[in-house]
Amino acid sequence: MNERTGVDSSLEGRANELFETRSRESAAKVDRLFVFIMLGTWLLAVLCALVISPYTWEGKVRSTHTHVYAAIFLGGAISSLPVYLGLRRPGDVMTRLVICIGQVLWSALLIHLTGGRIETHFHVFGSLGLIAFYRDVRCLIAATVVVAADHFLRGIFWPESVYGIAQPEWWRFLEHAGWVVFIDVFLALNILRSRNELREMCFAQLQVKEIAERVGRIEKLAAVGQLAASVGHELRNPLATIRNAHRYLRKRISGSEPVVPDAKMLEFFDIMEREMNASSRIISDLLDFSRPKEPVRAPCPIPALVDEVIGVVPSRGNVRLVNAVPRTLPVPDVDKDQLRQVLVNLVQNASEAIPETRTGEVTVRAKASERGGIAIEVVDDGEGIPESVAAKVFEPLFSTKTKGTGLGLAIVRDVIERHGGRIDLRTSPGVGSTFTLTIPVSPGVSI
Amino acid sequence: MTREPSILLVDDEDGLRSTLAANLELEGFRVFEARDAATALAWLEDNDCDLVLSDVRMPGTSGVELFLRLRKSNREVPVVLMTAFSTENQVATAIHHGVFAVLPKPFDVEAAVHTLRRAIAGPSVLVVDDDQTSADAAASALEAAGLSVRVAYGAEQALELAKTTTVDVVVTDVRMPDVDGLELARRVRAHDPDVAVMVFSGYDVPELLSRAASEGAFACFRKPFPVEHLLDRIARARAQAKA
Repeated sequence: MNERTGVDSSLEGRANELFETRSRESAAKVDRLFVFIMLGTWLLAVLCALVISPYTWEGKVRSTHTHVYAAIFLGGAISSLPVYLGLRRPGDVMTRLVICIGQVLWSALLIHLTGGRIETHFHVFGSLGLIAFYRDVRCLIAATVVVAADHFLRGIFWPESVYGIAQPEWWRFLEHAGWVVFIDVFLALNILRSRNELREMCFAQLQVKEIAERVGRIEKLAAVGQLAASVGHELRNPLATIRNAHRYLRKRISGSEPVVPDAKMLEFFDIMEREMNASSRIISDLLDFSRPKEPVRAPCPIPALVDEVIGVVPSRGNVRLVNAVPRTLPVPDVDKDQLRQVLVNLVQNASEAIPETRTGEVTVRAKASERGGIAIEVVDDGEGIPESVAAKVFEPLFSTKTKGTGLGLAIVRDVIERHGGRIDLRTSPGVGSTFTLTIPVSPGVSI
Repeated sequence: MTREPSILLVDDEDGLRSTLAANLELEGFRVFEARDAATALAWLEDNDCDLVLSDVRMPGTSGVELFLRLRKSNREVPVVLMTAFSTENQVATAIHHGVFAVLPKPFDVEAAVHTLRRAIAGPSVLVVDDDQTSADAAASALEAAGLSVRVAYGAEQALELAKTTTVDVVVTDVRMPDVDGLELARRVRAHDPDVAVMVFSGYDVPELLSRAASEGAFACFRKPFPVEHLLDRIARARAQAKA
């Protein structure tokens, strides 16, 4: 369970990260769009000023109308910073805020240049629509504040430049602001919805990716498993033949007269035997993994089984193996051979976790757990397992040892799960590790 | 025993068969080889042997079918199978029809020889229970599967049978009035340490079962248990080296 929530929260975290990246990318695209809009608006404004009111007459002197200068210089002032930021810092929050403010300042300038024409006010609404492309409510707020402030201040000091008349009603400002807020509300709702959609899409995308990876892994394992099974089977007969031939030769040679012609021969016979045994074990591992057996259950007293296990595990002088399982432990219905294999594996691993340079202890203890199960613990005071390794120890083909198939603990977990139980690992580097097997006493009980 | 015991060895793998035959001859058996079940059956028409040792997977007739045919034609010769496939349904069928043992390949010749000698001796399973009905039921179930079985309704009688007849597996109730199953197991094994002891109990007594297991009981059962499990354990015990 813990493992699963761990995976989930990290998935959520990564989904958020992906969402942030996507949002930034899309904001950067809008930034570039605004660079063109800003430049285009400026150009258009200058053209309009030149076409509509290029000259003005002051008495008998013809001069370029101030509107043209306003279009060139004020427009340039409004457009230049947004264009600069849009080109140099696309995607930044500051860039889009500056651009949005620039965009509504353009509205203000155009309204002023057209003498407060009502039609030009529509530019504000168009701008808000464009700003909504950012899918960022902050941009709407910034733009709205600037529009409101502009209307308010100009309404007081220069009403004809914004309302087209010198004496507007006192509530004109509120009417304008009201319409802006009206459209803001819907744009904001839309933004929130589309952000949620994007967030969900990011999550779904990661989930799909994760599932695809998991399926890929499982398929790979299945392929490996099938290959392993067929290779294992095919190797069994040749290995048996070699074993028989070896045994025959060895018997004949050690019984021959004169005694063995070469001392090395006996030694090599030993080496051959050892390596054949190692090969047999590897083959068994492969077959156990690729063709898991259904447990054949019978009552199996654990204390005696642990004695057996301790007798089988190769002894290391510096490690003491202790059977601390109480005789009163309930007797579970399990496959004795499979559970023996599990415990041999765990005890041997535990024993190997203790460095040769010091003494240590491996203890097997057990107790009745709640809900009709038993919990068997294999405890060592060895080196512990680093966190990065601990997360993977039950994965097939994962091994930190130079020898071995990396299937041992995967098989252990598989066997325990087939018994309706589960295996947990607690470890702290330098202190030791504890593997806990929780198994229901009888097959019907779930724990 | 004046002559060497004879074995008919059936395996389609030439290398495996000839090397195994050589080892068995080294151990004092007379070995006849057959490369498939048909050859083996034809050979058995005119000849006799003390044991058939056959591979399970062979082209044509499998080792299990060979065994079933021998049983059908009332040949009582003991059969031991060997297989590299541990999870075969066929093997279960053979066990439930009373094949003596199934050796997993690759196996140790020493351990195999132990099993083969046992099989040739033709031992019985001794069922012990003070509840006569229950004892008889278990015995007839095992007999129906083709095993040789003896029954005792008490420890004294059981001990007597174990001493006077060839018994290699004792299946006993844990709780009995005079001498309990554990004590019986101890005495039987004092007489012959190779005997495999299996205990069963009517109700759950963890301490007793734990003690039985720690004293070397090969398997424990809780009544009621399917006879297939018992057959399985017996075949397994017989395939194993000495305890």
